[in-house]
Amino acid sequence: MIDLGYTEVLLSSALMVLALVLTFFWKIPVQKDIALGSVRAFVQLVAVGYALKYIFDLESPWLILLAMLVMLSVGAYTAAGKAKGVKNAFGITLISMLFGSAVTLGLMLALGIVTFEARYVIPLAGMIIGNSMNAAALTMNRISTDLRDHAPAIEAALALGKSWRTASRRFQKEAAIAGMLSMLNFLKTVGLVALPGAMTGMILAGAEPLKAVLFQIIVGYMLLGAVSVTSIMVLELTVRQFFTRCHQLLRPQG
Amino acid sequence: MSDSRPILEARGLCRDVGPAKAPKRIVDDFSFQFYPGKVYTFLGPSGAGKSSILRLFNRLDEPSAGDVVFQGKPACDYPPCDLRTGVGYLFQVPYLFPGTVRDNLLFANDNITNERMAELIRITELEPNVLDRDSESLSVGQKQRVALARLLATDPKVVLLDEPTAALDPTITERIETVIRKLATEQKLAVLMVSHHPQQALRVGDEGLLIVAGRLIEHGPVQQLVNAPQTDQGKRYRDRELT
Repeated sequence: MIDLGYTEVLLSSALMVLALVLTFFWKIPVQKDIALGSVRAFVQLVAVGYALKYIFDLESPWLILLAMLVMLSVGAYTAAGKAKGVKNAFGITLISMLFGSAVTLGLMLALGIVTFEARYVIPLAGMIIGNSMNAAALTMNRISTDLRDHAPAIEAALALGKSWRTASRRFQKEAAIAGMLSMLNFLKTVGLVALPGAMTGMILAGAEPLKAVLFQIIVGYMLLGAVSVTSIMVLELTVRQFFTRCHQLLRPQG
Repeated sequence: MSDSRPILEARGLCRDVGPAKAPKRIVDDFSFQFYPGKVYTFLGPSGAGKSSILRLFNRLDEPSAGDVVFQGKPACDYPPCDLRTGVGYLFQVPYLFPGTVRDNLLFANDNITNERMAELIRITELEPNVLDRDSESLSVGQKQRVALARLLATDPKVVLLDEPTAALDPTITERIETVIRKLATEQKLAVLMVSHHPQQALRVGDEGLLIVAGRLIEHGPVQQLVNAPQTDQGKRYRDRELT
């Protein structure tokens, strides 16, 4: 592996300076964002690096679980913030992402694809939770908007004696597709448009390309599983918030 | 008399909306009995609570107090989906599901036969070839009649019509009114219809109910309610609407 240190980081910051100079002369007012963003990225990543080193060295299962719980909570909070007017949004995203992550990671551990070691579990959990977060946010946002905007269509079905599940099925399908679309597009274009991160990282770290590719395929399937489970759980839990037990659509009251 | 028992009954129905601390009562102690084979027209000013009462019968909304009784049994004893097939609801603006008219009828009742579909098309005075037309290609008047046929596909005993002709021109309105009359006279259904027009109530209705501020103010034969109301509010409504 290439030997890297702070000197190399300092040298690479020349490119950040190039971005600053270019935007300054082109009068694009983002110099503050570039400077602040670059410093933040440095501080955050170095802090995470130290935290990971500590966790890897300690190799405590409880610490691994705690780290995953923190990642899940921050992810769920972020996803819940994207949906407006959904009751218990944080609880829904947390449960869904927890379920999606547990099923996927659990299966990988059970099948022996990875072992329960911090250096495997934490990076994989990061990928799973990051993708689940996006899927949860997109699914919840889409379904809550559709249920509000299409009240006449839903009530037309309810008035004919259909259950809340049947009345909202069309919108559930569309929301599930919205949540999974970026992952489906990723799987279609992977390797053709861009080389994905896990594989690139392994190749840069000196792994054989074919091994890196196999690992990337496993990661792709893993993320697809996590995103699907999370999206469907979000739908199951969110749609219920919009109906009473008597199959009545809860409408905002003016 | 075969129709001596009401098919549908409201007992002290109330409906409150808004925040729990300061609710607004939009249906206030509404009680009435409805019999098969009759058209009941709900009259009253805009925002009086007429549509809100209808929604309680189909259990699209829950009453804050009181009961709906359908076929002698409290509505809350029925699974909501079963109640709604017995007490059908037609919205003011028809909503048809994507697909053909046939798809819409099958959505309402997946066991419906071709003969029953043809019968419903005849009852609602639609053209026989409409069954395979895309629902999006229909006029508003046709859509409203398809929505009515779809409602009838569930074989309801009571039909709730929420201003079914509000968005239609006079010619189409007349056709729909004919269909509504047939529902009561030929199909022996109890028809409850909200209308803004006393003249329409005279053309279509048997019984009239005047609703003001969520309360039943007066009821009786529709000619009497419209032409010779007994209450001051009834007279005020007549004077405002018929002059």
